[in-house]
Amino acid sequence: MEDLVRIRDLTVRFHTYEGVVYAIDDLDLDIRQGETLGIVGETGSGKTMTALAILRLIPYPGRIESGSIVFFDKGLRSELELLKLSEDKMRSIRGCKISMVFQEPGSALNPVYTIGDQISEVYLLHQRQELGRQAKRRIDSLLGNGGTLAASIKRPFWRWQSRLYNKIAEGSNPLEPRILSHIPLFRRLLWRLKDEAGLLTVSMLKDVEIPDPDRVAGRYPHELSGGMKQRAVIAMALACSPELLIADEPTTSLDVTIQAQMLELFRRIKADRGASVLFITHNLGVAAEVCDRVAVMYAGRLCEVAGVEEIFLHPMHPYTKALLEAVPMPGKELQTIPGALADAFNPPPGCRFHPRCPSAMPTCQHERPKLKEVAKDHMVACYLY
Amino acid sequence: MELRSYIIRRVLLLIPVLIGVTLFIFGITMLFPPAQRATLYVTNMRQLSDLPAIIQKYGLDKPFFVQYGTWLNQVLHGNLGWSRAISMPVAQAIPHLLPATLELAIFAVPLIVLVGIFLGTKAATHKDKPLDHGTRVVAILGWSLPSFWLGLVLMMIFYGYFSGLLPPGRLGVQMDILVDSAAFIRYTHINTIDAILNLNGPVLLDALRHLILPVMTLSVINMAFIMRLMRSSMLESLGKGYILTARAKGLAEKVVVNKHARRNALIPVITVSGYLFAGLASGAVITETIFSFKGIGWWAWQAAVMLDIPSVLAFALFTATLFVVINLLVDILYTRVDPRVRLGGAVQ
Repeated sequence: MEDLVRIRDLTVRFHTYEGVVYAIDDLDLDIRQGETLGIVGETGSGKTMTALAILRLIPYPGRIESGSIVFFDKGLRSELELLKLSEDKMRSIRGCKISMVFQEPGSALNPVYTIGDQISEVYLLHQRQELGRQAKRRIDSLLGNGGTLAASIKRPFWRWQSRLYNKIAEGSNPLEPRILSHIPLFRRLLWRLKDEAGLLTVSMLKDVEIPDPDRVAGRYPHELSGGMKQRAVIAMALACSPELLIADEPTTSLDVTIQAQMLELFRRIKADRGASVLFITHNLGVAAEVCDRVAVMYAGRLCEVAGVEEIFLHPMHPYTKALLEAVPMPGKELQTIPGALADAFNPPPGCRFHPRCPSAMPTCQHERPKLKEVAKDHMVACYLY
Repeated sequence: MELRSYIIRRVLLLIPVLIGVTLFIFGITMLFPPAQRATLYVTNMRQLSDLPAIIQKYGLDKPFFVQYGTWLNQVLHGNLGWSRAISMPVAQAIPHLLPATLELAIFAVPLIVLVGIFLGTKAATHKDKPLDHGTRVVAILGWSLPSFWLGLVLMMIFYGYFSGLLPPGRLGVQMDILVDSAAFIRYTHINTIDAILNLNGPVLLDALRHLILPVMTLSVINMAFIMRLMRSSMLESLGKGYILTARAKGLAEKVVVNKHARRNALIPVITVSGYLFAGLASGAVITETIFSFKGIGWWAWQAAVMLDIPSVLAFALFTATLFVVINLLVDILYTRVDPRVRLGGAVQ
């Protein structure tokens, strides 16, 4: 399978008053076309930062210090170095080719705008031309029929509207609609774009299995349940059929029955659309459920990457083993990992897991293990192998 | 329907508020002994020897609630008493003086609120950068300048040093005469608006010339407050999850700030702006007095100095009513800005 995103030597640091936080340290990771890659790790292991780095949305005072993130654009058949793109170009990728679903559906939606408005926004931003084409088609059909008096009076107006929307459909930022969209009252003349976006929104809401999508589109976030909000957020992320969907713990804040529905939804989305999914979770059960491959992160570094069956049946890295031991099972005493998560300001030298590792060797204390392929499609960063 | 019943409920609530306010102020005036209050009714020296007769005549030695009842009865019949401060019935004084105060508020409030919101937003988006520090210095300066001092200094510079460039009062002598003549129709008694309606350029310019300094004095102080409030509220809004969502959608930073963050950040600013307008419309006492801008605030000052009790009571009634009404308007405005707010309920 070909790669969709190739991350190399990615380093993200936060320069705070207390010191430098090593959020991500020399990370190499590939996301392949059409797969679901899970990133698993404890809180603070750099899972979310990896996702935000791909979108170049690392919050201040964080910074991507070095590395490269190459994105293979299927539509354009070209390679894009995301870290070198201009901000404008990057914006055209966010929400369009790569989109993200956040952990808390409650705070991810703006409380003062309706669900419909917030999803339409994505269409109006990224698919303006397509919307213009649709609007023009609709006006042309109005022009075509009707010989009534009212229709003949409105005809010149429709003709002008048809020309206007045609300009939008042709793209290249034409002057007339650009001027109109800046003048408060005249902006209304472009209402058909909004209408078309609204129609797409409703069909998108239907796609994520929201009952009664017409009504829900007009609702405000606080009027919906947590599961519905998360579906709306997913609808927003899928609006432009992205090539990569990043899901940052999308089920963590939902209760278990809704979680199961949501995982089912993700599986279906992937099957229907063939998009790649980067699924971030701290729940191994969830990872086993939806992922094709799993990457395990610890303290900003990658420990192990392998196919989902491989990693659950033959875990190699001591941290992965410890994590799997720590999954609660009936009739078995719960194992914990001794020690605490590495200090973000002063991470241990060498392998970051060595202070907690049962099989640590002298080399582990001062030399960083490299990620190497020890079996087919199974990479581990550990001196045991 | 929900809106109308809410308005009716809130207006009914005004009655106990007004009774409470007047009881309080009436109670304070009752602290003076009857003889002292009787002197306030004296119009010539001969009456001074006959204070008991005055006390008898106006019932000044009757129990508190009887006197309050008498006053309330008079008020309900439209008689608010005689204002000695400006020598006219109180009921006429308010419509006579309100246009000046409103004129001040109409110019000052939009300036304060719009510039405050603009600078507050800029400070928040440039957090810890020079622009943020700059606005902070200006805000602290503005906030810590007392308005009587700032007003006097401005007057010393623009009226004293530049000999009469920006004079106090509402209009120059010539314009005052012109405005009262038959050639000039007083639609609203707000000079600038009347000048525009009469298409009279010189009056408009003269009115604006007199407005600059008081509006400036009011703005500098209040703007600092709105600006700081907007900044903190905007910073809070910018840290919310939906801002990250908006950025992840690919929206330009300008849209993220002006559409997604600002609307949420405006909610506390609306409350404060409402009170600000109520405060200014019920008279900027110090500013109006310094610039002898004869409005409600100037009258309140005169009344307080001259122990003009009917005027002080009327001023209290007016202010309380204004605050309740503005509060109502702010509540209604809330529901327009934040859909989570329901009239008569709390945020869900």
